[in-house]
Amino acid sequence: MAIATPPTPAAAERMELLGAMWEGRPGILGWFTTTDHKRIGLLYFWTTLVLFGAGGVEALLMRTQLARPDQHIVSPSTYDELFTLHGVTMIFFFIIPMTTGAFGNYLLPLMIGARDMAFPRMNALTYWIFLGSGIFLYISLALGMAPNAGWFDYVPLASRAYDPGRNIDFYCLAIIFNGLSSTLTAAQFIVTMFKSRAPGMSFNRMPLFCFAFLAASAGLLFALPLLTADTIFLFLDRNVGTHFFDVAHGGSAFLWQHLFWMFGHPEVYILIVPAFGIATEIIPAFTQRRVAAFPLVAIAELLVVFIGFGVWAHHMYATGLATITAVFFGAATAMVIIPSTIQVFAWCMTMILGTARFRTPLLFIAGFIFMFVMGGLTGIMFVAIPFDQTVTDTYFVIAHFHYIIFGAAVFPIFGGMYYWFPKVTGKMYFERPGQISFWVIFVGTNLLFFPMHIVGLLGMPRRNYTYPAGMGWEPYNMAETIGGFITAAGILMLFGNLVWSFFKGEDAPPDPWHGATLEWTTSSPPPPYNYAVIPKVSSAYANWDDEDRAEDREKLARGILVLQEGHEQVAITPVDGTIAEIVEMPHNSPWPVLLALSLFFVFGALVLQRFGVAGIFGICCLGALLGWHSKEPQEQ
Amino acid sequence: MSSGDYIATGRPLSEIPRTTAATGSDVPRVLARRTGPPAAWWGMLMLVASESVLFGAFIGTFFYLRFNDPQWPPAGDPHPKILLPVIWALVLATTSPLMQLAWRAARRGSLMAVRSFIVVALAIQTAYFGWEVHDYHDELSAMPIGRDAYTSIHYVLLGADHAHVFAGLLFDLWLLWKFSRGITTYRANALQAITWYWHFVVILTLVVTAAITSAAVG
Repeated sequence: MAIATPPTPAAAERMELLGAMWEGRPGILGWFTTTDHKRIGLLYFWTTLVLFGAGGVEALLMRTQLARPDQHIVSPSTYDELFTLHGVTMIFFFIIPMTTGAFGNYLLPLMIGARDMAFPRMNALTYWIFLGSGIFLYISLALGMAPNAGWFDYVPLASRAYDPGRNIDFYCLAIIFNGLSSTLTAAQFIVTMFKSRAPGMSFNRMPLFCFAFLAASAGLLFALPLLTADTIFLFLDRNVGTHFFDVAHGGSAFLWQHLFWMFGHPEVYILIVPAFGIATEIIPAFTQRRVAAFPLVAIAELLVVFIGFGVWAHHMYATGLATITAVFFGAATAMVIIPSTIQVFAWCMTMILGTARFRTPLLFIAGFIFMFVMGGLTGIMFVAIPFDQTVTDTYFVIAHFHYIIFGAAVFPIFGGMYYWFPKVTGKMYFERPGQISFWVIFVGTNLLFFPMHIVGLLGMPRRNYTYPAGMGWEPYNMAETIGGFITAAGILMLFGNLVWSFFKGEDAPPDPWHGATLEWTTSSPPPPYNYAVIPKVSSAYANWDDEDRAEDREKLARGILVLQEGHEQVAITPVDGTIAEIVEMPHNSPWPVLLALSLFFVFGALVLQRFGVAGIFGICCLGALLGWHSKEPQEQ
Repeated sequence: MSSGDYIATGRPLSEIPRTTAATGSDVPRVLARRTGPPAAWWGMLMLVASESVLFGAFIGTFFYLRFNDPQWPPAGDPHPKILLPVIWALVLATTSPLMQLAWRAARRGSLMAVRSFIVVALAIQTAYFGWEVHDYHDELSAMPIGRDAYTSIHYVLLGADHAHVFAGLLFDLWLLWKFSRGITTYRANALQAITWYWHFVVILTLVVTAAITSAAVG
């Protein structure tokens, strides 16, 4: 039984007190100054959906252009901008902010039994920076200066000599700006998981979802600075006249590629590991069984990201690396198979050993496993270096990474949307339309991406805005385009279902699935303070420990660990999860949004090469930071 | 089960300190009773970890370009100074123990000692920063940044290091202003985190100085 209903009148009074203390400001202003992780998660969710829509329209425009040979619906230069923006948007402005920003923000504190993130204002800041960077990127499109050298933006193509507009400056600055948000998010996720778990949740009792987000956060924290360094170099080369990538002056074009892929490969795992985390929550809920090989899965989640840092040069086989280097990176890449396979077997075994109920969320996870194995199998093919060199820059590569990035990263996001919809909105979604939306998306994506393997093997190169007739590519391209529109229709059905359910759905109970983790012990939607009592945890499946939940209710009735004296949270020791201290949490601050706004103008001035103006807004940033830290916890 | 004797994961609830609310003479007491460093320290550790990778990329780039070029520094570029930068880096290194002493004083609650240690550290750090800015400016007028790949990475690496020292100076000034109004747990936590920031900056400066001067050694 959930703690949503107060056991005694005294408990009801305590919950009312907590509610008054943790409630945000009403109205629009409340959203601008909020530090509530649930509200910030929702802000992330809506913003990333808009950007997902933009990235999706870009993809459909490309597919429309490529439906038939020799078409001229968009010009070559527009096509360049479309595929660049599509990649940048989907990777940096949809998947990362959707998984870490929306899912992570909303669910992590709930899963670990905390009342908020360890740094609530910094959490708000990450959202406003993300919003600013998204607007910044799409201003470039409105000005006709969108990035146009591909998402990995190779020099010398991206250098001032070959790309004289502001397009690549927008790329560099948008990436740095956005990276700031992701770095801060990663840092505070790690600290939250280390310091804010419910007492008793020792490190090995953390849900697998949290391990996945820990792995992704560590990946972001250590990988993003490499991209930041790279884009700083490129921006300086283009605007200050340095020669990092200029071979004529002792620079190196390979330097860009090395730094980019040192970031870029961990990035792939940063994209899919949160999806693994979502899968490891949905599977136990719909099989009513603990995940098979829990410790191995936890280690595999961390290991995937760790090994991901040592494989970057497999993106560079076509650049003439020394054979020994290529073989080394091929072998390192093959190692990724081990943790990936451990997880696939663990998911499948859990489903086989439990009694799987194939509701919509689990259908998406089953689809995800299929797509991940498909994409993984073509991934293994690339380890054969001559094969990679043959198909590099063809549609075969596009097919491979879309099976991974759409199939393996986005399917669980969709599944997670259905799974946590009752928790977030307090309404049930409609099951049958949900299942239909899965099948439409599943058929659509396979029709969209599978033929790309074949045209790739037939030699169709990527990034070309059109192709001649008579190469034998026409039927496949037409099929892909039809698949693209079917996928879009399925996604619209999904969102249509959720919107319709939000208004017309039945009220959701606190725990509709008998899920395994703590978020199902509180009401749907959760109250502003999340938990009326800091919950007791003695396993990784806290919601299935009935004795602990009964103890929570008793503690609420007696007022133990309710922390109703202030806006408080417990802090623990990172490994064993014993209580270290009780800390006062910040609440409702205008400074994060003001700081992000100042930063937006800093980046705006930089792209216009107004370095003095950027400095002035930099001083505004310092002012905002000063205001941020002017009020101490004991003064609240 | 009454609230007085409730044992929460090993400790009676009444013994668990409400740290962030403490001010003045309460601060040493609650700091002694909490177990493990605060979230602020962990947050700084995350920043330092991420910044280390950024500098790893810069220093990696320095050596990647070096081994890519037949001559380093390229013909016509003056060799970097050795003696003065190394001496100044070692001078800056003395502020690392000074900041640690300031943090220890905060744990004891002796406000005067906290202020004194920060003032002395700040004076040394400012002198270091003043000399480095002056030297950077001199170098730039003799050897512009846009000459070749060597000058590019030389100035970016040094400039990024100086920027971190500058951020540290701002931190110190802010700390002094905060501690001028007494001691609180919040300020002690900030001091602990900023102390660790300075440890990082000192190590960074030593590594960056070593990398930069290595060009002169051949």
